[in-house]
Amino acid sequence: MAVSGFEGFEKRLELHFFGDDPAMFPLGLRKLDFESLEQVLEAVQCTVVSAVGNSYFDAYVLSESSLFVYPTKIIIKTCGTTQLLKSIIPLIHYAHHLGLTLSFCRYTRGSFIFPKAQPFPHTSFKDEVSYLQDTIPPNLCFRKASIMPSKSSSHSWHVFTATSHVPYDHHHDNELLFTMEICMTELDPILARKFFRRAEDGKSGDSAGKEMTEVTGINEINPEALICDFAFDPCGYSMNGMDGDWYSTIHVTPEDGFSYASFECVGSVSDNMGHVLRKVVQIFRPGTMSISTTCNGYTNDMWTQVATAVEPLGLKCRSRAMDQFPAAGSVVFQTFSARRKSV
Amino acid sequence: MAEEGQVIGIHSIDAWKEQLEKGVQTGKLIVVDFTASWCGPCRFIAPILAEIAKKTPEVTFLKVDVDELNPISEEWRVEAMPTFLFLKGGREVDRVVGAKKEDLQNAITKHATITAAA
Repeated sequence: MAVSGFEGFEKRLELHFFGDDPAMFPLGLRKLDFESLEQVLEAVQCTVVSAVGNSYFDAYVLSESSLFVYPTKIIIKTCGTTQLLKSIIPLIHYAHHLGLTLSFCRYTRGSFIFPKAQPFPHTSFKDEVSYLQDTIPPNLCFRKASIMPSKSSSHSWHVFTATSHVPYDHHHDNELLFTMEICMTELDPILARKFFRRAEDGKSGDSAGKEMTEVTGINEINPEALICDFAFDPCGYSMNGMDGDWYSTIHVTPEDGFSYASFECVGSVSDNMGHVLRKVVQIFRPGTMSISTTCNGYTNDMWTQVATAVEPLGLKCRSRAMDQFPAAGSVVFQTFSARRKSV
Repeated sequence: MAEEGQVIGIHSIDAWKEQLEKGVQTGKLIVVDFTASWCGPCRFIAPILAEIAKKTPEVTFLKVDVDELNPISEEWRVEAMPTFLFLKGGREVDRVVGAKKEDLQNAITKHATITAAA
């Protein structure tokens, strides 16, 4: 492993708000002016590089990962040495001006490759949790923090949730929804090379990104999705996909020694995720892969489905952990690694 | 012309048709910004487009609110915002979907040059 390099592992924050004033809807947080959004991102230390919206939500590609803004929900995911949790205070502040109050918070991340490079409050999970405990308003009184282990000490899943009431979400009464967060390391070096730009290619980050989306087959994961993509110079790639009210997102740090790629999407438990998972594995061929699924209800099917899709592609399930969180539902964390290796 | 160097807001089908006809007659490139009041990325790109418009008087810049003039956005199959539609002689020659400032600038430069050469 390199002594120092770019931290691919993202921190992810999801905040839900509620408001009593029906006049605020259906726009809500999408009414945030761009200056306010810039201030939030400044606190985190990243910027917008590209963006697109549809009738359900706005998706931003950031200099370090992605931001999704729904009328009453924000998902912000940042990599590197960004200070993601510093976005909470300004977000609560600006949402308050729109008549919205925080009702739910979920913070997740994997294990950093370079933990010592992280600034406060990301210096340790303990620091992150105490920062969250101090920052989140007291009405979010149902709280839980947990480190979900794997067999390898270098791969754990860190989860913090807080909610004002249980259950928090009645929007999809009959439909079980999940969020799937995949973290991949030790990418196949030949495949990873596709995320490098040629020196002085004369292309914009937008058009070089579009090319990578096509060359790598990322556009085949969900052919229905509208993709907003960006290629960084000299290497690295980010994309957001929009399919109705569902997002997907991919971020790639292709450098050898600390190569990393992430895939995240939302979906319905009744959908077959086999195709998506197979495509993702084929695009990156990771040596190690963790898949965490967060589901707003209780379901057994998800993990077996995930393993069934991934295992025929040369990956073996090495560990599986499960935990329940108030209002966030059940989280299943599974790790896989290539059969050729032993972990 | 007073409208040069500005992004012209279109608020009726008639005004739209008039601009399109003018484009056909003059052979000028038209860039249409399909926008929506509820779209954050549209607010991000708006000042950037205004700056480009100032520097590019040889191109006509129009702005259409997809809620105000829904038939136009449906006719041109606009599904994500912002969408920049490039029209020449009444026909679509290019489109940029999303607030992609580099792509937008590059496409404008490319098509404006072709117009000048023709």
